[in-house]
Amino acid sequence: MRWNLSRRQFMRMTGAAAGGLAAGSLLPRGARAAREKELNIFCWEGYNSDAVLDPFRKEFDANVKAETQTSDPEAVNRVRAGESKVFDLINLNNPWARKVLWPEKLIKELDRGRFEPYFSKMMPSFKPPYRWAMSDDGQSLLGMCQRFGPFSFVVNTDKISRELAEDQGFDLFNDDKHAGKYGILTFDDWNVYHMCIGAGVHPFRAHTEEEIQAFEKVARKWVKNAKLLGGDPVQMNLALINGEIDFYCTGGTYTASPARFDGKTNIRGITPKRGPMDGKGGIVWIEVTSVINNPDGSPLAYDFLEYVQRPDVAKVVAFAEGTYNPVAQMGNADVQAKFSKEELDAIQWDSLEWELERSYEYDINPDYPRMIEILNAAKRER
Amino acid sequence: MIARLLIRPAFAWLRQPGLHAAVPILILLAIGFIGPLVLVAIFSFMPPRSFTLDGAPTIENYQTVVEQSFYLSLLRSFAFAAGTVVVLALVCYPVALGLAKLFGRYAGLLTLILVLPLFVSENVRLFGWVLFLLKGGGVLAGAAKAVFGLELADMLYSNTATLMGLCYVYLPFMLFPMVLGLSMVQRDVVEAASDLGASRWQIMREIELPLAMPGLVIGGLLTFVLSLGALTESKVLGGSKVIMIAADIESAFTFGQNWPLGSALSMLLLVLAGGLVLLVLRKLDLDAILKRR
Repeated sequence: MRWNLSRRQFMRMTGAAAGGLAAGSLLPRGARAAREKELNIFCWEGYNSDAVLDPFRKEFDANVKAETQTSDPEAVNRVRAGESKVFDLINLNNPWARKVLWPEKLIKELDRGRFEPYFSKMMPSFKPPYRWAMSDDGQSLLGMCQRFGPFSFVVNTDKISRELAEDQGFDLFNDDKHAGKYGILTFDDWNVYHMCIGAGVHPFRAHTEEEIQAFEKVARKWVKNAKLLGGDPVQMNLALINGEIDFYCTGGTYTASPARFDGKTNIRGITPKRGPMDGKGGIVWIEVTSVINNPDGSPLAYDFLEYVQRPDVAKVVAFAEGTYNPVAQMGNADVQAKFSKEELDAIQWDSLEWELERSYEYDINPDYPRMIEILNAAKRER
Repeated sequence: MIARLLIRPAFAWLRQPGLHAAVPILILLAIGFIGPLVLVAIFSFMPPRSFTLDGAPTIENYQTVVEQSFYLSLLRSFAFAAGTVVVLALVCYPVALGLAKLFGRYAGLLTLILVLPLFVSENVRLFGWVLFLLKGGGVLAGAAKAVFGLELADMLYSNTATLMGLCYVYLPFMLFPMVLGLSMVQRDVVEAASDLGASRWQIMREIELPLAMPGLVIGGLLTFVLSLGALTESKVLGGSKVIMIAADIESAFTFGQNWPLGSALSMLLLVLAGGLVLLVLRKLDLDAILKRR
């Protein structure tokens, strides 16, 4: 075939094509095809893994895109700022759906008849109606649960024994004798909560001026005495394994499990025995995945929530790339049977129940904006 | 008619075909390049912690920047950027001279070796250095212990490690403009100077450096501006011993959730870096230098 166009004809055709494209993008949403075959997920890493998404894509003949997020408040603010028009599902830690997204009408409720039975098959603490998946009035189901984990600090048990670490808790970081021997994994929001605990202050309540001052003292001390600060769990684990540091905070099963699965079982997430949160000294996070109130939402969002509850998929989610975590579905014997001894050891299954009993459920810190400013100043003025 | 004649020269540029042809790219640049910058500028005047542009404009964010200790990160970023330029100028000059004048057919191979790492992500390359410098099981410390029985001191998580990382990552940005600059120095001129009795030092100072100046200045500016906005080196190799201004900006946009503060810091960095570049380019009139050739 030969193209025999004059320059003028070519320009006219190109112009028409470009105009057509531009006009197409200006059409109102309803005039375009409905989003029955596409799904956009905003999640913590793991749900974006092809091991999780590819079978779903194939089965539902869907175009699924997943974007990972790295901080709950950031994700919430992006949805607030207008990305509720982009995403269909949001996967966050427990307090946000119930305390922020639902009151602000940023998520939709789920059909209790369809989704509540799944909670009955989860571990006993998730029995329905499960508090963090429900609205304040206990009427609406706001999301589904899956991954969770104790999250306090991580030690190299060759250097600091598990008993000592559990006994001392966050006082390990307060002790001058450990200056230069620990790292801080800069998940800044969690750093704030853990520094509160180190100051003997409940992180998830409104704070007095004295408590804020106590927090500042601890924040400055921990930052100053830390050997390294860094945002990458792999970096922290490597420093731990190679003797650069003996322990690091902010961390838990979520950060220690990849090293443990790699055979380094001397790297262990620790939950303190006691602390200022009604006597508890550790924190546990529980993820809740909700359907975003997208004006042009995809119906596949609901199918995806059911899909990840399947035993084989729940196992894949637990051991998706990057980090390994326990899943609530392990309450079902079929799911638990899918984990090998090494995998159970990687997620510290042996102490999980004990750790959960001593952990306070993650919540929102009302003084977070002020405390994060203090922490950032401490880092700059280190 | 007279009016038309009077107006014409002022707006004649509007009728240039060149401008008409450039309209698509101008629109693209306006939307994709200027637009976001304008957005950041507007955000910097919004009330703290707001996420929309409909708040009442305020200069509170700039006040916060001045009142709090952000000057520390700014000064450190400038110091590291200046340090990187100085170290790289010293390291790159002999290599550039070799590439431009001495290595002959090996210059191509060496260039390839120097360019290849650019195809690998910066994070991966820096993490490679971590594996190399870690104590205990790190490549260097492990080898020193196994072969020579030596215990090496800590090399990671220090300001020196950060500076090394910056120099390593930005080396090509200094080296290649320098090679171009030095290849503008003609051999005849150097030989003439030599015949007239100039010493090697005089030749470098009075012939090579002035003639190669455009390359040196461009390399220096590129390196300076890039290292000014760098943050990974300090995080990965320096263990955040110092907080760079880019890390403060990142923190404001992410964990801090204070977009207006992040925008104000970005604007400040943009104005300072932009101002500095303009100042240097004005002092060293590149056009004049280039024409001199």
